[in-house]
Amino acid sequence: MTGVLVIEDDDRIRLSLVLALEDEGYAARGAATAEDGLLQQRRDPAETVLVDLMLPGIDGFECIRQLRREDDVPIVVVSARDDTHDIVAALEAGADDYLVKPVAVKELSARLRALRRRGRALADPVPSLVFGDLVIRPEAGEVSVRGEPVALTRTEFRLLCELAEHPGRVLSRQQLLRRVWEYEVGDERLVDVHVGRLRQKIEEDSSTPRYLVTVRGLGYKLQR
Amino acid sequence: MRPVGLRGRVIAGFAAGALVLSASMALVSYQLIRGSLLAERERTAVRAAYFNATVVNSGLTGDHPDMLEVLRSLDTGSERKPVLRRAGTWYARSADGGVTASIPEPLQRMAEEGTPGKQRIRADGQPAVVVAVPLSASTVFYQIDSLQELERTFQILALVLTLVAAMTTGAGAALGWYATGYVLRPLSSVAAAAQEITAGDLTARLDPASEPDLARLTTSFNHMVDQLARRMERDRRFAADVSHELRSPLQTLAAAASVLNRRRDRLDDRTATAADLVTDEIARFQTLVDDLLELARSDQPADRRTVDVSELARGVCRTRGISEQIIQGDDQTWSVDEQRIEQLLGNLVDNAIRYGGGPTAIRLGCHDGRHFIEVDDEGPGVSPEDKEVIFDRFVRGRTAQARGDVDGTGLGLALVAGHADAHGGRATVLDRPGGGARFRVELPGCAP
Repeated sequence: MTGVLVIEDDDRIRLSLVLALEDEGYAARGAATAEDGLLQQRRDPAETVLVDLMLPGIDGFECIRQLRREDDVPIVVVSARDDTHDIVAALEAGADDYLVKPVAVKELSARLRALRRRGRALADPVPSLVFGDLVIRPEAGEVSVRGEPVALTRTEFRLLCELAEHPGRVLSRQQLLRRVWEYEVGDERLVDVHVGRLRQKIEEDSSTPRYLVTVRGLGYKLQR
Repeated sequence: MRPVGLRGRVIAGFAAGALVLSASMALVSYQLIRGSLLAERERTAVRAAYFNATVVNSGLTGDHPDMLEVLRSLDTGSERKPVLRRAGTWYARSADGGVTASIPEPLQRMAEEGTPGKQRIRADGQPAVVVAVPLSASTVFYQIDSLQELERTFQILALVLTLVAAMTTGAGAALGWYATGYVLRPLSSVAAAAQEITAGDLTARLDPASEPDLARLTTSFNHMVDQLARRMERDRRFAADVSHELRSPLQTLAAAASVLNRRRDRLDDRTATAADLVTDEIARFQTLVDDLLELARSDQPADRRTVDVSELARGVCRTRGISEQIIQGDDQTWSVDEQRIEQLLGNLVDNAIRYGGGPTAIRLGCHDGRHFIEVDDEGPGVSPEDKEVIFDRFVRGRTAQARGDVDGTGLGLALVAGHADAHGGRATVLDRPGGGARFRVELPGCAP
């Protein structure tokens, strides 16, 4: 049993999601406010957190930021809002995935499984990948830039590893969505925002990236 | 006949006004100048005639004066011809032969009765003035002054005045052309702004400071656009509100239905059937809400990015469990709105699955500067009546209705048309050679 915390202010949605996730084999529990959710997560950390964006008191965006400040727990946004502004803001705050209500339970379950797999090591792990000052140790799950360790979330780490496995080769956003998020067809904004977050952590100047570069019209590549 | 435009009418009006004005000015000037010059010329002729008559009279002393010698002694020049009639006989210098015939009879009679006179005549086809001065009971002195030179002056004057009138008319037309251009320029900027707004740019406004005289037009135009933008914003917000309000209960329903479905085996037949109905209808309701919201948003401009459409098509096939082999056209990288084109492809493929037994070919390519997407199926095809309405909202094919098919929302193809429209393209349905339907979407912007 793996724990899922559902932070959702609508009682009926929370109850139905908890019931359905329990059916799927997760130990699910709910929190009606961000404050309660944060408290529960501190006391008894769940493996994954589902967050609604419109919450009373602390809103979903702030809730994601506070969760992210503490650790790299995978966060999935489940919101009725589907405009780009909200999606990008939630991902920039630190969410790993974004689902628009109503989401089918099968789909939600698939996303959670993909997130769990993301934590595992690569199929064919190599001791370390070196890109100039950037050193990636896939087995240890560690990344360092100029000798300084960098804290990455699982999704960021998996994204970096996918790119590092194919040094100098361009990977399209759809390819990355398939390999990292396990989407057949997904929202490319997921990739763009995560690349932006990665750059802020590994690049000296994220506006003129040295390692993780955009290839216009094609995708991204990691270069030495 | 095409009605004459505002500009044409104003130009014609200006030209006609200038013509009337300049023509009447020219006519009046001509008449005044002609009258005063002729009067002046006649006065000169009369004065000269009296002077010459005095000279002739003084030469006529004695019983048999030599008339011709007397006439020859006059200093007249070539334009002036003196003639003497004495006791019923004409005397004229040899060079002036024949002029006597042009002296009118009434003038002659009047002069012979002792009254001096003058009259304008034509001598040898040329204009002239004849002055009659009676010298005695039987002698009359006539002098014929040619007006030929003056007449030529009048012709030149008339020509010059006509030219001036024509030029004034032309200048009037030019002024009309310039004035209408000047007045219509703000209207052109209104038209340009209206076009921008139609194209989806609701920030287009007119500058009220640029033309103070047209401030009312610019103000009311800008006000209208403000109102329009506000209304569209309200509609958009309404769509977002509806989205939230409908999606939240749907989320509960979807999760609860999943719980019900898990326990389907434990339900009796009636309850299980009811649970199935609930689950199916929730799925349909969900699609309907998504499609409706998408349709409400479809008039927004496309968010263009460079997209690998071949890859999108492969993804669409993968999610629906269809062989990717049916896709023709690799490496199609277009500048389009990714989400909309993905949905467009998905809806066409779903349509082929639902009504045409599955797609048999998906073609992507570029033809005549336009991208095209074609989805073929080998189903019953689309009847001519259905072709006209198939892209309308809530229209489902007759065959589908006959089958009692209720899976679709009736919005799929309306969305296809809406997305094509947002890209400036269009969607059509054709007959596939060999039977079935061929849905074709064309989008502009393909570099040859």
